[in-house]
Amino acid sequence: MSALLLALLLQSAPAQPAAQASAQPTESAEAAAGVAAEHGAVQESRAEHAAAHESGGGHDDPALVLAHHVTDQPVFGVWSNHLVYVVLAALIVIVGSQAALRSYRGGRIPRGLGAAVEGLVLFVRDEIAEANIGHDGRKFTPLLCSFFFFILIAALLGLVPLPGYNAGKWSYSATTATANITVTMGLALVSFAAQQYAGITKYGAVRHFRNLIPPGLPWLLLPIMIPVEILSMFTKPFALMVRLFANMLAGHMVVTTLILLIPLLAQIHWAGGVVIAPVSIALSLFILLLELLVAFIQAYIFTLLTAIFIGMYAHPAH
Amino acid sequence: MNPFALAHLSAGIGAGLTIIGAAAGIGRLAASAMEGIARQPNAAGDIRGAMIVAAGLIEGATFFALVVTILLAIAK
Repeated sequence: MSALLLALLLQSAPAQPAAQASAQPTESAEAAAGVAAEHGAVQESRAEHAAAHESGGGHDDPALVLAHHVTDQPVFGVWSNHLVYVVLAALIVIVGSQAALRSYRGGRIPRGLGAAVEGLVLFVRDEIAEANIGHDGRKFTPLLCSFFFFILIAALLGLVPLPGYNAGKWSYSATTATANITVTMGLALVSFAAQQYAGITKYGAVRHFRNLIPPGLPWLLLPIMIPVEILSMFTKPFALMVRLFANMLAGHMVVTTLILLIPLLAQIHWAGGVVIAPVSIALSLFILLLELLVAFIQAYIFTLLTAIFIGMYAHPAH
Repeated sequence: MNPFALAHLSAGIGAGLTIIGAAAGIGRLAASAMEGIARQPNAAGDIRGAMIVAAGLIEGATFFALVVTILLAIAK
């Protein structure tokens, strides 16, 4: 829960309008050319995704179209669709876990959703929490489950094209909430806080930092080790943030680029678009299947690395 | 020379170098995983799990370089 709240807080309004302001001048420059096309696009924007942004957004530059599809856009009057999807993923996790709990009522043996969730939660508790944090790993299981399920649900939501309404136009887009560096920064900050919490509650603030230095180290190496260890305290969550962000972003960029080839080649000659279409769609299908696998793997890796780092601070047995 | 042309050129070279590093690392990882499974087929599950984690970490390092490449490619 704390991970989700912090991610929400970091997805704040001031950051997004700045990105919007830089996108506006480019859009207004093309607006004169695209206005007439835009009216025609209102009727047909419901249909083809590729056709919609060529005639509807007024963008001619493929880089702009690509950027428009993978970055944060306003939707439903909210300034950021990544924010909407963060809240949606969080709601699915919360409501889903409550629904899964229902199958335990009355001491029944859980079936269906409860059994599926139980399998995953036991996996997180036994293989990830207890194996890496040790005997007191159980109290970190709720946090690790939150990370795992939120990242997984957010990534899976990013594979489903859901409708969005913005500026008088309906459009379908598949948005991954974790493809935003601020969302993953929120998750990494909570992970960082959990690591420090694990060390400080167990050893006290002073000894927690003294534990960073490996025992039996010659004192000549101390001036090197202290900055390195303090720096590594910050690079670990930073790496978590960038790894998740880049993995989620790269998949969508590749799929968008492949689909973008169709109108690009069709601009040269209509037969080019026809020829490239089955190739593009087949490759995009393969990349989307790969993204499905990557969703699970990245959720697992984020949770596993958080557990490993918490274990490093809770049990510094160098 | 136009700085944006230089940026795009370096982005292309950077992307190529990035994929060389990633494919070399993950290729070595997959090779030793195959050897391990060939030696002990009943450890295949453990080896597969460790392989996937290591591949994720190597890719994580790759994506650091990829982010730099993307920043160069979208320079204005």
